[in-house]
Amino acid sequence: MKTRNVAMYGMLIALAFILSYIESIIPIPVPIPGIKIGLANLVVITALFTMGPKQAFVLSMLRIVLVGFTFGNLSTMMFSFAGGMLSWLLMVAAKRWKRFSMTGVSILGGIGHNIGQILVAMWVINNSVLLYYLPFLIISGLVTGAVIGIVGALITANIKKLDFMKN
Amino acid sequence: MKQKITAFLLGMMMISMLSACSFGKDMRYEASFLELFDTASVIVGYAKSEEEFTKYSQMIYDELKVYNELYDIYNDYEGVNNIKTINDNAGIKPVKVDRKIIDLLLFSRDWYEKTNGEINVAFGSVLSLWHDHRTAGLDNPEKATLPDYEELKARNQHIDIDDMVIDEEASTIYLKDPEMSLDVGAIAKGYAVERAALFAQQAGFENGMISVGGNVRTFGNKLDDNGKEIPWSVGIQNPDLSSDEKTLYVLNLSGYSLVTSGIYERYYVVDGKQYHHIIDPKTLMPTEYFVSVSIICPDSGMADALSTAVFNMPYEEGSKLIEGLDGVEALWVFPDQSMKYSSGFQAMIKE
Amino acid sequence: MIKKSDLILAGVILIIALAAIVFINVTKKEGAVVVVTIGGDVYKTLPLDEDTTLTIGDKQGDYNVLEIRGGEAKMTEANCPDKICVAHRSIHYDHESIICLPHGVSVEIRDGEKSDVDMIAN
Repeated sequence: MKTRNVAMYGMLIALAFILSYIESIIPIPVPIPGIKIGLANLVVITALFTMGPKQAFVLSMLRIVLVGFTFGNLSTMMFSFAGGMLSWLLMVAAKRWKRFSMTGVSILGGIGHNIGQILVAMWVINNSVLLYYLPFLIISGLVTGAVIGIVGALITANIKKLDFMKN
Repeated sequence: MKQKITAFLLGMMMISMLSACSFGKDMRYEASFLELFDTASVIVGYAKSEEEFTKYSQMIYDELKVYNELYDIYNDYEGVNNIKTINDNAGIKPVKVDRKIIDLLLFSRDWYEKTNGEINVAFGSVLSLWHDHRTAGLDNPEKATLPDYEELKARNQHIDIDDMVIDEEASTIYLKDPEMSLDVGAIAKGYAVERAALFAQQAGFENGMISVGGNVRTFGNKLDDNGKEIPWSVGIQNPDLSSDEKTLYVLNLSGYSLVTSGIYERYYVVDGKQYHHIIDPKTLMPTEYFVSVSIICPDSGMADALSTAVFNMPYEEGSKLIEGLDGVEALWVFPDQSMKYSSGFQAMIKE
Repeated sequence: MIKKSDLILAGVILIIALAAIVFINVTKKEGAVVVVTIGGDVYKTLPLDEDTTLTIGDKQGDYNVLEIRGGEAKMTEANCPDKICVAHRSIHYDHESIICLPHGVSVEIRDGEKSDVDMIAN
């Protein structure tokens, strides 16, 4: 592993920790269990655009495990995994399609994150009633996704300016 | 591109909203009244408008009212020759009656034969003695008494249905035995409901349900939220009235009737023991095989007649009778709350 | 930074979600019964118009306390770690729900007509 990648991982994981902590103290407006806003997705999308899909995936999973052990438990980790996977899949697909800017990719990521988590919740309670929350979750995913996409684009632009990334 | 997608989605939205409150969908209405057959009656059904429903429910009410007067054995109505008139003239003269009475008595005699005498409208003299004691006992519970057994036996000599002379040509009924009387309580309500239901259906009332004192007749279907036709849900009363569960089973019925005979319906207490209103023609005492019997079949008159008849038979005998009839199902509830049902019953249970 | 296709994507998603919300709101109606399920199995069905307090589970172990008051259902107490169910507002519309994920409990409002009986034969 190249030094710059190690540095990137370290920096992004640190960022993920901070974001996860912020997220854990923000109350969720709609009390739907297992649902997180997904601020830490900022880290994943930044990795996706600066390092690549594989690295973004590793980072996403690493973040989930570390943050899960720090701020959550096994069951919250399960939701994060589902959200993280679906989000990553959608973002990689959207990026490959080359139609969307980072904002569009991030919107899909945010929505994927929420849908993934609600699917697990439905599976856990074995009841489809949670589907009624889906429209609200899609809108919240859209908003957070858009914000994260814009912020992510700023970060990415700055990272790309860094000297050590240019080699 | 964007405009097209937006327009398409807006269109989809409009369509889904329209279908949600869709035009011309039949609405559910309900009417109830207390005047007829000494009990509560309910009519439920679907119609385009309240006026349309009121037209049908009024039609049913008027029809039931006619039957109520004709089949009454306790009250006189001015200008009406009813069953009481026939009883009052037992041994005296034939009474000219409406065709509706002739039809009911022909129907009853038919069922007398089919059930080997379990359903006997000529059982009135025995039943009236029980009725008098029960009424007095309910008015004055401390002085409630049982009918004298010897008197019951004496009255039981005057229950021969062959002494009921039906003259269809002249439209008269004559009771040859002056001591006999007709009691159509076990059959008249169901028969009247059946007639009223058929009448309303002919008038164009497609999806409805009539209940007269828990004698339920369904026709057509009910409509679910999406306007889809689904069978009516009719519950069978739990004989244990103190239970949280109001019903034993809920059945899917469309075009079927459900009638239950139970000991909890009408009874009085003598020396701490309950005596209900269904009297066994063999023992002349309240029947003790079951706490309730429910019959499900298309014809409400038949269901009513069978519910009393089967109530008065041991389970094996009743089961044989039910299994031998097409399209008839039954549920027996025993005094220990255990239950048995006929072969096709389970298929009717909802969920 | 933001492309036209991003805006189209956001617009389409927003319209679909809003349409769904409008649809849910237009078709929503008062519920009649409260269905409590644990792990998907119906634990208890209660009428919404009768005031009651139901303890789901066992106070010695995992439990949630459901209260029905004035036609509304609310989780008033629970010993689950996240307490999200207790934070949920009262519910009374058809298909509204309160979920306690750690205990696998769902409290759902349902329309009475579907499960309800049209008539009782007695």
